Amino acid sequence: MKTETLLQLKDVSVQYSGVHALDHVTVTLDEGEIVALMGPNGAGKSTILKAMFGLAPITHGEVLWHERAFTPISHEVVERGIAFVPQGRRVFSGLTVRENLEVGGYANRDKKLTSARIDEVLELFPALKTKLFVPSGSLSGGQQQQLAIARGLMTDPKVLLLDEPSLGLAPKIVKEVFALMQEINARRNTAIMVVEHNIKSLLSVATRGYVLDKGRVVAHGKPKELMKSNVLENVFTGKI
Amino acid sequence: MSIVPQIIINSIIAGSLYALVAMGFSLIYSVTKFFNLAHGVLAAVGGYGVFFFGRMLGLPVMVAVALGILIATLVGWLLERCVFSPLRSRKSSALVLLVASLGAFTAIQALIALLFGSQFLTLAPILEGGSPFTVAGATITDVQIVLVGTALAAFVCVWLILKKTSFGKVVRATADDEEVAKIVGINTHKVIGKTFVIGSMLAGMAGILSGFDTGIEPIMGLPLLLKGVIAAIIGGMGSVPGALLGAYLLGFSENVGVWFIPGEWKDAISFSILILFLLLRPFGILGRK
Ligand SMILES: Nc1ncnc2c1ncn2[C@@H]1O[C@H](COP(=O)(O)OP(=O)(O)O)[C@@H](O)[C@H]1O
Ligand SMILES: [Mg+2]
Repeated sequence: MKTETLLQLKDVSVQYSGVHALDHVTVTLDEGEIVALMGPNGAGKSTILKAMFGLAPITHGEVLWHERAFTPISHEVVERGIAFVPQGRRVFSGLTVRENLEVGGYANRDKKLTSARIDEVLELFPALKTKLFVPSGSLSGGQQQQLAIARGLMTDPKVLLLDEPSLGLAPKIVKEVFALMQEINARRNTAIMVVEHNIKSLLSVATRGYVLDKGRVVAHGKPKELMKSNVLENVFTGKI
Repeated sequence: MSIVPQIIINSIIAGSLYALVAMGFSLIYSVTKFFNLAHGVLAAVGGYGVFFFGRMLGLPVMVAVALGILIATLVGWLLERCVFSPLRSRKSSALVLLVASLGAFTAIQALIALLFGSQFLTLAPILEGGSPFTVAGATITDVQIVLVGTALAAFVCVWLILKKTSFGKVVRATADDEEVAKIVGINTHKVIGKTFVIGSMLAGMAGILSGFDTGIEPIMGLPLLLKGVIAAIIGGMGSVPGALLGAYLLGFSENVGVWFIPGEWKDAISFSILILFLLLRPFGILGRK
């Protein structure tokens, strides 16, 4: 059975007022995969995810969904079944936990579906169950990150884009986040593209990975291959 | 006879007028994060709309009022669609948007003066004006009672929309973090458009009620805008309950103040309060840091 390519950036460049954030980058995400994006700060990892959501100024190349080019506009991207959990625990701090989840299910249209989905998602995040009516700005950092991920799952996406989901979390919770990624991937065959600094843990769950530096893809392949080569080391110590 | 009841009544009347302007201004700010100075001129648009339909065309007063509100709303929405939204999608800064809104204010004000002249006009003749009421030794007209009622009703409506409806949640989410709102699938462009509709409607009502209470002139938008902006700032930018509180605080301060000092100092009182807040509590009564 041929696995299908779900989402792809093809030869994409992104420029922010002169700064080349991405320089002719091609990345793909196939059905059922967990793809890792690695690289030092400022390499362009977040920009890849943003470009897929129409939130970065693309100056060259195209975005493809099921191998068909389209112009990404964020609310339409969501309707295609793609969810994005951006970097930095960006919960709607003035909204309660439940309201955050409801807004996360905005694209569902059907309110009953959203309600049912909240119950399902809370099974994955039991810590949020007792906090439903708490303003999310008053949650701990770990709980906010869980809420941000939970909110991303509200549309039951086929593709999940995660930007540094474990950043600043306690080691125990980091483990849980990685376990969760595997669980989400296994349960619904959700394809995940994830940016992480936690390379070891990441490569233990990923099926494929890309290494980025200064807006370019400098290596890609299976976790084992990437671990064996010294490209990761070189990139992170600035030897490239 | 004590003057205290009259001062209280006058404060509530002034506060209600400021609140109608401030709530819409603050609501629009919450989702767009810029000072929409054109908001003030919508009051004049509403007032002149009623003058045109009610006094010039002789339509029934309620029809004229409805059309006045409609026109103010339409102008507010068109400004968003044709001026502010294109600027936002070009990533213009809040300062550029502010200057654009000031330009729109001036242009529309000039257009009104061109169409209707710059003299002071009254709307009152189209009302079957009853005689003023006396409450606890203070007088209040029927128009003023409607003004106070409208402000409070508008607050309750907007507050319920924001807190209880799914549209309200979407507005609050957009206000909180527009980029993430887009990411969860909200068409923030539409949400902002609808917010302009609500805010502009309130500004139109303020202008119409002020027109019935005193009168209209092309420059009427500026004093209303200034008081509305001050109320919104001291209440906490982006907070609708804050705008209401700020408006009444301003209304009371001015009217209690002019009991002690000459009336020409009324505006000085508002600006002093503004400066006091900017120095001591820049995020306002209910604003978030
Ligand atoms: N909104 C922006 N405006 C200007 N430059 C930006 C913006 N976002 C990112 N950049 C620049 O683009 C490059 C890549 O950023 P990013 O994708 O966030 O890196 P990473 O996620 O790998 O740390 C950096 O040089 C960064 O400074
Ligand atoms: Mg990043």
